Amino acid sequence: MMDINEQLKLQAYLDGELGEAEAREMANRLTQDRESMALMAELRNTRQILVGFEKGIRLTESEDFYWSQIRRRIEAQQSRLPQLEHRVSWVSWFRRRLAPVTAMMLVAFAGLVAFRGTGYFGQSSATEVETALGDPGAFTYRDYSAGTTLVWLSYPAEN
Amino acid sequence: MALNDHSLADDVALVKAAQKGDMNAFEELVARHRDKIYARAFTMMRNEEDAVDLSQEAWVKGWQRLAQFQGDSSFGTWMTRIVINLCLDQLRKQKRQRAESIEEMTEESGGVERQMPVFTVNPTERLEREELRRRIDRAMDQMSHEHRTVLVLHAFEEMEYKEIARTMGCSIGTVMSRLFYARRKLAALLADVKNEEKWR
Amino acid sequence: MRIRVAPAFWRAWVVVGLLVSGIGLADVLAADLKIEAQLVWGTADAKSPNPQHKPVEADILKKLRELPLKWSHYFEVTRKQVALPAKATRKFELGRCDIEITSLGGLDVEVTLLATGGKKIVKRTQAFPKGEILVLGGNAPNSTAWLAILKRID
Repeated sequence: MMDINEQLKLQAYLDGELGEAEAREMANRLTQDRESMALMAELRNTRQILVGFEKGIRLTESEDFYWSQIRRRIEAQQSRLPQLEHRVSWVSWFRRRLAPVTAMMLVAFAGLVAFRGTGYFGQSSATEVETALGDPGAFTYRDYSAGTTLVWLSYPAEN
Repeated sequence: MALNDHSLADDVALVKAAQKGDMNAFEELVARHRDKIYARAFTMMRNEEDAVDLSQEAWVKGWQRLAQFQGDSSFGTWMTRIVINLCLDQLRKQKRQRAESIEEMTEESGGVERQMPVFTVNPTERLEREELRRRIDRAMDQMSHEHRTVLVLHAFEEMEYKEIARTMGCSIGTVMSRLFYARRKLAALLADVKNEEKWR
Repeated sequence: MRIRVAPAFWRAWVVVGLLVSGIGLADVLAADLKIEAQLVWGTADAKSPNPQHKPVEADILKKLRELPLKWSHYFEVTRKQVALPAKATRKFELGRCDIEITSLGGLDVEVTLLATGGKKIVKRTQAFPKGEILVLGGNAPNSTAWLAILKRID
């Protein structure tokens, strides 16, 4: 049975990281040893399986929205002071004109949410909120039809 | 939207224009490379929100450091390295936070994967591309970020072992071990999914 | 006729009135939740080395096998039941960690998993109707898994 050093050497051969003499030795071994051949096939297939994997990953945000956020960050860093002044004047306008109205709307909304939460207007909202605290490595899988939710902590890795 | 004359220019011309402060030229560069930069961030972070945030941060850094870009590599490659470094910083931060609440993992050992029987993973064997993608996604989700990062740097960035070691700040032996573990884990998880389907 | 708007005092009373009526009615209509929590061990082995472990019940097993998990066998380590009045919080020990559940009124609950020492690990808020299953899990040594399974039984 191959030990770990031999397995790592086989992988290095696959990745073209072995010196000439060791590569020749490994190539020779691969013609005779079935275990090496099988491991080599698995490693090669695993490498091949990833080819083109990232091409299918695309941003879901619109091009304009994505760019506008980048531009905003760039501009924010370039001109912090003017932006701050702008924000201050906006805040004071909000305080004077909109704050009382907004407060009333928020209260009305809170009342509505409280009613919905009771099931009085039908089943509770399907809205879900997830907060990762100490472990941001958590991810959630939700199967609505089965009524099952899985929150998986991907840390620590399997050992 | 970028101006039309920019959409006809090549990356080199756009970078030169952007280096002179032309924001429209930079916008065109973002439009051309945004999916690739986002995809790299997503593969490393496995989280859409982080991937969007870090990829945007990479573009901000790219704009700020444009003067340093000498054209030794393609602009896309240069940007990819920026986003990788941002993701690595973020993952290190997250790991520090996690280590406070859960005991430190022993990811270097590779555990039982070294003793596993060999799985034959044939990418063409009755697998539709989308189904395969779904399975790889699941496997990636279950890997630690250290193993996933080594896999990403080797498979997608085509970095050599020593370059990965430099990027991740670890030894070449650790890189080899992590890469081996990640590949075997991927093979095992893909094989497991097959078994699950047989049961149904 | 021009109505003169009352100053801050009256506005505050309107706010309080709305809050009291909304929240008060919610309390009246809310009922207790009964939740069962199980600590489960997932493994590829058909038999657990611990004779006290028993295989999980069929309905739970079915749900677990529908999840994107690779383990084929699941054993119950311990089980607890908790009754949760509306707007109340219950914290209990499950294995080496604690689970804290808060009823937010109606069907919504907030579930927090706490590590030894009280450090919060993950928190989830969602609707939890009868029959719903919430699984919090992670990797355990030797390629096995631990799973805290919460099921609303009433």
